[in-house]
Amino acid sequence: MTSSIVIIGAGISGTSIAYNLAKRGAKDIVVLDSGYLTNGATGRCGAGVRQQWGTEANCVMAKKSIEFFEIAKEELQYSGDIEFKQEGYLILATTKQEELQFAKNVRLQHKIGIPSKVVTKEEALQIVPHLNPNAFLSATFCKTDGHLNPFKMTDAYYQAAKRLGVQFFFYESVQSIDQVELGKFVVHTNKNSYTCHQVVNAAGGYSKEIGDMVGIDIPVYSENHEILVTEPIEKMQGPMVMSFSKNIYCQQVPHGSFLMGRSNPLAPRDHDISSSHQFLDEMAKTVCEILPLVGELRVIRQWGGSYNMSPDRQPIICESDIVKGFFMACGFSGHGFMFAPMTGILLSEIMLGHPTTLDVSILDIKRFHLQTTTDVEHSVV
Amino acid sequence: MRIKEHPILELIDKEKIHFFYNGEVMYGQVGDSIAAALHASGIKVLSKSIHLERPRGFYCAIGNCSSCHMTVDGIPNVKTCITELLPGMRVEFQSGKGVLR
Repeated sequence: MTSSIVIIGAGISGTSIAYNLAKRGAKDIVVLDSGYLTNGATGRCGAGVRQQWGTEANCVMAKKSIEFFEIAKEELQYSGDIEFKQEGYLILATTKQEELQFAKNVRLQHKIGIPSKVVTKEEALQIVPHLNPNAFLSATFCKTDGHLNPFKMTDAYYQAAKRLGVQFFFYESVQSIDQVELGKFVVHTNKNSYTCHQVVNAAGGYSKEIGDMVGIDIPVYSENHEILVTEPIEKMQGPMVMSFSKNIYCQQVPHGSFLMGRSNPLAPRDHDISSSHQFLDEMAKTVCEILPLVGELRVIRQWGGSYNMSPDRQPIICESDIVKGFFMACGFSGHGFMFAPMTGILLSEIMLGHPTTLDVSILDIKRFHLQTTTDVEHSVV
Repeated sequence: MRIKEHPILELIDKEKIHFFYNGEVMYGQVGDSIAAALHASGIKVLSKSIHLERPRGFYCAIGNCSSCHMTVDGIPNVKTCITELLPGMRVEFQSGKGVLR
């Protein structure tokens, strides 16, 4: 089969890139996925969208992505509900050092126009009354952060892309990629072969393996991050509550369930996405310390998913400097869902040679080849 | 309604205990589950479905199906089919998903 562009991965990034390319006039776009729509990290994510970051690149990506989510239903003409809820993120500072870091983060966020603020313990308790007052010192709050349904949002991009002529093939796993000549690739799957001029690596947890297929070494790895969800209860918590030092994020989704996660500092670098009793144990202890009332709820289920980690915890969105025509959107380090609108906009602009909405040099893979130090994102759970 | 006679089991009348259903005094027996005591007292609708608010009654009786979730002594979503009735319990019909306090 001949097409002009093959996108590998039908998660939020792949569907956003496909939609944005088609919207800008690109034709003959094919999206391949080894499973179903959202079956990778997208459908396993924590469903939070926030702008409170510690590096400028992440702040700008997040802010512009939130602006898109606000109009996404209309722009994508989606008949369903993407369940976008803007009730904020409350990020707890539990140490003096964190308070200093957060004050710095808020200054950076203000420079970019993100409406975050430092709040006292008393103010935080007004926002989330069931917080344990002894578990934190102060907090930062951004009221336009929030929640979005990953399945619905991806479906919205998928439906819009299909209307613009993008073809999707599911349960097709890419086995190898041949470069037959400069700017001409053949992508072989277990079912078919696709000849094209541009290949996009939006393979999430498997993006390193896709890079290997064209001989480029992408400095990313995958690690399992687990989540659990409780039974639903009438609404009692508006914002996502998060703490980096305590290693927790916890929000009540519109359905009423509490969804929470934490990272495992000992997680091996692999494709494991299993559930562990250790996570259940640690997660329960952590949430009971910070949000004791939530401890009254029953756990309904657990799952795991891959964070695709980059060295500086910022995404890689660029064309390969070694293999022309090979593009990548990977290394989101657990935040590909909330950045997806900008991922699609920026990568489609790069691929079509249009002027880019933002300076994309900071997102280029070349930053890891330079000896200069780049910003490193520490605000990650 | 209770089974009084059984071809195999020997059914002995047990001590009567009182509880409150929506504020009204009712009686069950020692050893009853809350749902069994309600059922025996003619209360067949134990909850309503969350979206369409259709009546839900005694269903799985083993604590799996969520049909019997009620608020008991202020605690929401108690599985009344597997929770033993205790004297003086305040059982309330629960609308929606329950309120955690």
